[in-house]
Amino acid sequence: MTTKIDIHKDFHGSFSYGLQFLCENYGQEEMEAYLTRLARTVYRPLIDSLKLRGLPALEEHLIYIFNIEEGKFEISYQNDVLVFQVGKCPAIHHMKEHDYPIAQKYCEHCRILNQEICKAAGYNSSTEYDQDKGSCTQKFWKEK
Amino acid sequence: MVSCTEFIMAYNELFSYLEEHHGEKSVIEFWQGISDNFLQNLRQLVSQKGIQGMKEYWTHTLTEERAKYDMTATEEGFTIEMYECPSVGILRRNRHIQRYSKYCQHCDLLYKRIIEDYGFCYKIEYLDQEMGRCRVTVRKKRD
Repeated sequence: MTTKIDIHKDFHGSFSYGLQFLCENYGQEEMEAYLTRLARTVYRPLIDSLKLRGLPALEEHLIYIFNIEEGKFEISYQNDVLVFQVGKCPAIHHMKEHDYPIAQKYCEHCRILNQEICKAAGYNSSTEYDQDKGSCTQKFWKEK
Repeated sequence: MVSCTEFIMAYNELFSYLEEHHGEKSVIEFWQGISDNFLQNLRQLVSQKGIQGMKEYWTHTLTEERAKYDMTATEEGFTIEMYECPSVGILRRNRHIQRYSKYCQHCDLLYKRIIEDYGFCYKIEYLDQEMGRCRVTVRKKRD
């Protein structure tokens, strides 16, 4: 069931500006360092939940946020790998729709956050994206 | 993807990160950048409609963010009496987040910078930063 929740989608533009600010003023390494910290602070409850409950915790998180943001996606398991395919990224779509500038490395934030969240919980991930199209494939699996 | 529901926490974390790694000056520069580059919609509304533009802008954003507030807009001035700031509420509810000590200051810098360009005085009084209570007052500048 999808619950319609009012959200302020312009926040995507502000977040994107923050990433661009870090890259332009301090270099890409600083953007990566900030995102690594973000994964381990803001996403601490998700890390704990992933450790405790495994991939269903991540699956529920992704379904929840992409439903309230009205993204288009498919999610499934291929053997022991959780595969999340995004056909319409709500953030990219909103920024394009409103003609907001999009950080050159915007989609890197998903790759880095996924990687750091998984690493902290004993999992692994891969994120392949096409920023212009606003689509990506994210995969998650338990580290052997 | 960092969802809009997580943005305030990410924003708060960015302020802390910038201050810890690059000093308070960097946080101020970031806020100035947001104001100059990302609040063009507010600038356009204030330049075209003055106080009515402010009312339009904040009615839209505060409704989307589900703030508890009163707003008054007259020919001479504009006020927001904020009872429960939605951003502060998010930071209070998420106890795993350490709040940036000067979080509320961004509302002073971001908006004053725009509104005062169009013949108004902008003042924000922080009544209770812990609880997210403040008062914004905008008045027409007298010659």
